[in-house]
Amino acid sequence: MSFLENLTIKKFHQGLIGREFSAVEVAKDFFSHIKEKDDKINAYLTFTKDMALETAIAVDAELDAGGNIGILAGTPLAIKDNILIENVVCMAASKILENYKSSYDATVVKRLKKAEAVFLGKTNMDEFAMGSSTENSAFKKTRNPYDIERVPGGSSGGSAAAVAVDMAIGALGSDTGGSIRQPANFCGVVGLKPTYGAVSRFGLIAMASSLDQIGPIAKTVEDAAIIFTEISGRDEFDSTSIDIDYKEDVLNPDFESTKNLKIGLPKEYFIDGIDKYISSAIGEVIQSLKSMGFEFREISLPHTKHALSCYYIIMTAEVSANLARFDGIRYSRLQNLISSASRRMTDEIQNLKNIYFKQRSDGFGEEAKRRIILGNFVLSSGYYDAYYSKAQKVRRLIKQDFNEAFKEVDIILTPVSPTPAFKIGEKIDDPLSMYLSDIFTIPVNLAGLPAISIPVKKTNGLPVGFQLIGKPFREADILGVGRYYEKNVNII
Amino acid sequence: MEIINKKILRHLAELSKIELIEDGEEKLLDDLRKILEYFEELKKIDTIDIEPIAGGADLINIYREDRELLDELYKKQEKLIEAFPERGGDFLKVPPVFQ
Repeated sequence: MSFLENLTIKKFHQGLIGREFSAVEVAKDFFSHIKEKDDKINAYLTFTKDMALETAIAVDAELDAGGNIGILAGTPLAIKDNILIENVVCMAASKILENYKSSYDATVVKRLKKAEAVFLGKTNMDEFAMGSSTENSAFKKTRNPYDIERVPGGSSGGSAAAVAVDMAIGALGSDTGGSIRQPANFCGVVGLKPTYGAVSRFGLIAMASSLDQIGPIAKTVEDAAIIFTEISGRDEFDSTSIDIDYKEDVLNPDFESTKNLKIGLPKEYFIDGIDKYISSAIGEVIQSLKSMGFEFREISLPHTKHALSCYYIIMTAEVSANLARFDGIRYSRLQNLISSASRRMTDEIQNLKNIYFKQRSDGFGEEAKRRIILGNFVLSSGYYDAYYSKAQKVRRLIKQDFNEAFKEVDIILTPVSPTPAFKIGEKIDDPLSMYLSDIFTIPVNLAGLPAISIPVKKTNGLPVGFQLIGKPFREADILGVGRYYEKNVNII
Repeated sequence: MEIINKKILRHLAELSKIELIEDGEEKLLDDLRKILEYFEELKKIDTIDIEPIAGGADLINIYREDRELLDELYKKQEKLIEAFPERGGDFLKVPPVFQ
């Protein structure tokens, strides 16, 4: 499997246009590799083989005809199961959506289809993207490819694990509080959470709308940049999306000016309680970047310690609203209650309210229920000011911290998580300890900033990454420094 | 001071249209208590004169002409309706709300 192992988007593209292999051959290679590997890893929920081969055949035909193809044409990608592909089942790893077939393409999917990317399938995740370990999936537990007793992280755990063991060249994930960066960190791959508004959320099953962003998971920073430029930009169907053309800046970084970017180290992120394994890996990265000539400064983000509370209040409030649409009737679930053979209603479901209760109670998992109830609590009359309104004020303070910091530095470097991948089952019964695994990624979503998780090279054992946070819409800065690091770290 | 109790939890579950399982209720209450206790730390922060923020990005409200923006999607309406368990024309057919 060494062929798939070293395959990046760029290498694949060069091999494809050099006619070293066909798109169909590689797609088939991926499916047979998946067949061999995924029994153990459980990264995928649904496969889209027919669609994949159809696209691959079309790309090969274009090459046969002597045509030019785009950089992503024929590239085998995996899509997180909360992103809609028309006519493909989309469950967000929830039982309440197990029969739902997408009626349209998400904008990101439409753009990738236009680029002729090949979709291998839909990847496992925490139900409705709620979790940090992919253990909240209603269907299966994805395992960390580096140690199958451990979690791959979450919620985009399937996408990260798939890319890590070459079951896809790249993937899409979604990130509400760290759901791209944390699993990328646990699985030793690159994960980019774009600026809020950089990528359309149309066709993403919403968890918390003021925090959600779709982004790429890839083997290299360069690959992440390629996927990102393809999916970003204004979309009429998402009013929060921004008209911005990233291409030149992101794809062809000027490393001379990249080297002049000042990097900040927030003292609040380098606290006691971080695993030694993590702090020494981060120390190594800082040393490498220093020896490459980057200037570092200590900065302060004083409200960091309040980010977790702030996030869990705002996010659950938005969850309770977004998940109200799942009544167990729309999006095809009622047939689970009424067999199609007999349409006679049983006593239990004679009125609408009982159907809602029955369907939502059976259809949602524990974490989804907990968050809906908590969200309804923080929005309730009498509690609204103390929780929701307070959290929105604290959110402004957190954002102001970043604004101040970015007057002094261009980029902020931090760990991604306080520990490496934890054991399956270790935190699942204690929601608060699970939530704490996202403390370094959450502030970025609250402030709407771009951030990337990049693996630290030369680490034995479990993967560890570092996080680079950029100014709004300056993905080019974090991708530029990331690529510079990636290019140079092996030779220093 | 007690932040949440069984009575409040049952009321929230009713609002959320979620049935509480008899033996899961205690654990849920306990989890919620721990989480809400953790949130208490926010009270210490001085937020006088701080305006709440609605999102991470400073987005401005967007107005657009009232036209059929989604016409391409309307063609896909049929697919969504097909997913209904029972339909009456283009409407979703459900049991009565009041009896």
